[in-house]
Amino acid sequence: MNAFSYVRPTSEAEALRALAEPGAVALAGGTTLVDLMRLDVMRPARVVDLGGLPLDRIDAKSGGISIGALASNTAVADHPEIRARFPVLAEAIDAGASGQIRNMASVGGNLLQRTRCSYFRDLASPCNKRSPGAGCAAFDGYTRNHAVVGGSPNCIAVHPSDMCVALLALDAVVRIKSASGERTIPMSELHVVPDRPNVETSLRPGELITAVELRDAPFAKRSRYVKVRDRASFAFALASAAVALDVEGTTINAARVALGGVATKPWREQRVEQALVGKRPTQQMFDAAAKLALADAVPRPDNAFKVALARRVIARALALAGGVS
Amino acid sequence: MQDAPGPCRVVAFVRGWSPDRAGVLELERVRAHLRGLSAELVFESEHGTWLLRPDDDPRPIERLGRTRFRVDDDEDGVFVIVASEAGPGTIEASGAVRFAHCQRSPIAGTLAPALQRATDVMLAQAPLHFTRRAWLTTCVVSGFALAVLSACKQKPSREEPEPAVRAPEAGELDIVLDVNGTKHPLRIEPRVSLLDALRERLLLTGTKKGCDMGQCGACTVHVAGKRVLSCLTLAVAVQGKPITTIEGVAKAGELHPLQRAFCEHDGMQCGFCTPGQIMSGIAILDENRATDDDAIREQMSGNICRCGAYPNILAAIKAARGGAS
Repeated sequence: MNAFSYVRPTSEAEALRALAEPGAVALAGGTTLVDLMRLDVMRPARVVDLGGLPLDRIDAKSGGISIGALASNTAVADHPEIRARFPVLAEAIDAGASGQIRNMASVGGNLLQRTRCSYFRDLASPCNKRSPGAGCAAFDGYTRNHAVVGGSPNCIAVHPSDMCVALLALDAVVRIKSASGERTIPMSELHVVPDRPNVETSLRPGELITAVELRDAPFAKRSRYVKVRDRASFAFALASAAVALDVEGTTINAARVALGGVATKPWREQRVEQALVGKRPTQQMFDAAAKLALADAVPRPDNAFKVALARRVIARALALAGGVS
Repeated sequence: MQDAPGPCRVVAFVRGWSPDRAGVLELERVRAHLRGLSAELVFESEHGTWLLRPDDDPRPIERLGRTRFRVDDDEDGVFVIVASEAGPGTIEASGAVRFAHCQRSPIAGTLAPALQRATDVMLAQAPLHFTRRAWLTTCVVSGFALAVLSACKQKPSREEPEPAVRAPEAGELDIVLDVNGTKHPLRIEPRVSLLDALRERLLLTGTKKGCDMGQCGACTVHVAGKRVLSCLTLAVAVQGKPITTIEGVAKAGELHPLQRAFCEHDGMQCGFCTPGQIMSGIAILDENRATDDDAIREQMSGNICRCGAYPNILAAIKAARGGAS
């Protein structure tokens, strides 16, 4: 690990000043940053430890819940109001990582989790994300864990987060502060496809994520997360789906479907959602709608299975959310 | 430098020590330290100079001059203590002076607690430039030397030069880690993980380094009551927070119930992962997460056991929980 200077601001203003310095990175739970620093994949000159900021509140109000950026994954998944009003979020977090990592990992950090692409983590492999223009080892490499959708000629690394997939399905909004003020970004606009693989989000330099806002919606309560992985626990998704359904009587009023494990960013499947609206929630309907997912997939020989797997995962999640079994 | 044959000798100046019952009892508490070091203690008070070998009674020895002592009648029995304004030296069998140091403020109390305190201070300040074994010996021996030097300073004068406390290297920080109820001052670089600080600086080697990248759980400790991975935690980021390691879970000489259960149910083979398993197990029991077998397996999935002791680990956790299903 490279040597770096360390600061621990105690106010947002102080943190923003520190983050504006060249070479500064924010440290929250450290589960991504310290890992990548030890691998020398990240070599920041300056680490700004956000642990002294009072940003870990989870504020449940009527109409929505505001989650402080430093709330731990465990605190979010255990929160009774989140479990009741946004169950897919609790399920997605519980399906990710291990108990220790969930205790450490923050919501803000999870939003900015880096890919687990083995070539990105291996300094001996060329990687456009690590060194723009260096090339990508995955295209000639082993791609079982890589993306089948959202890739570019420069990068097919998968976005690894479970939590982000749920937040995307829930239409969450990310609250951001910078020296020039405050703004919000919808989850659907936070992550970007890897046209320039080193640019992973629409955050600007010096910006600090302060909270994630969830708004109550009829579909949010009836939301589920299904994740398929190589072992029963503590593994990244091969394919996962966050779905939410607003069912009135025998009709689906609204649907949200998002995929993890298959794309370069949390991946919304609006074609599936549109196919569900106005229909009866039956297994047959769910299977048919799920088949519309990943129509634009560009699978590779090692990961072609993900297309069929993701469609089945969507169908199963819809069945769970729709109460069909 | 003069030859100093024979065992490693630790030099102590102990104000007020006399060979009465209390004095002899005090020595009992340092015998184990000496034995562990294969060292002898030479100590001097206003009442004389003594030699303590770990398994013998203290006996008076002859002082031949300011720095020369006779232990035995033959020539090898004469040794020299190198003393200077900076503090006393400790002399190993090889003749090498292992350390010379002096403390800014006097250490109060009797020899055994002074040793402990001095060792803590030494560990916090000394650089890590020794082999593991030499390091351990040096620290403890230095602790002795440090303890005694300050005790022997009768009237510190104002003109006394500043003691030889090492100035911080660029980027080093002075922090205090609160581990198992004891506050440990440490001077460290910010890139030192909590795991390395515990193992290499505080010599709490019960916490294990397995993968050093957050995947095996061997380094699990509790920070503020939550199980976390000490390998992905920067020590500077947890200063002031209560930290519990495997060394801190037994109370008043009684094993924690889960430690007993691991013994009774043979919850290990090689034992390397066991401290981490137990720290995770204690946390999930305290948090009532060990509700059934599947929940225990899921909650313990962040702790890998390459020997495959999982069935017995599960049995131990159920036994410690009580009401095994």
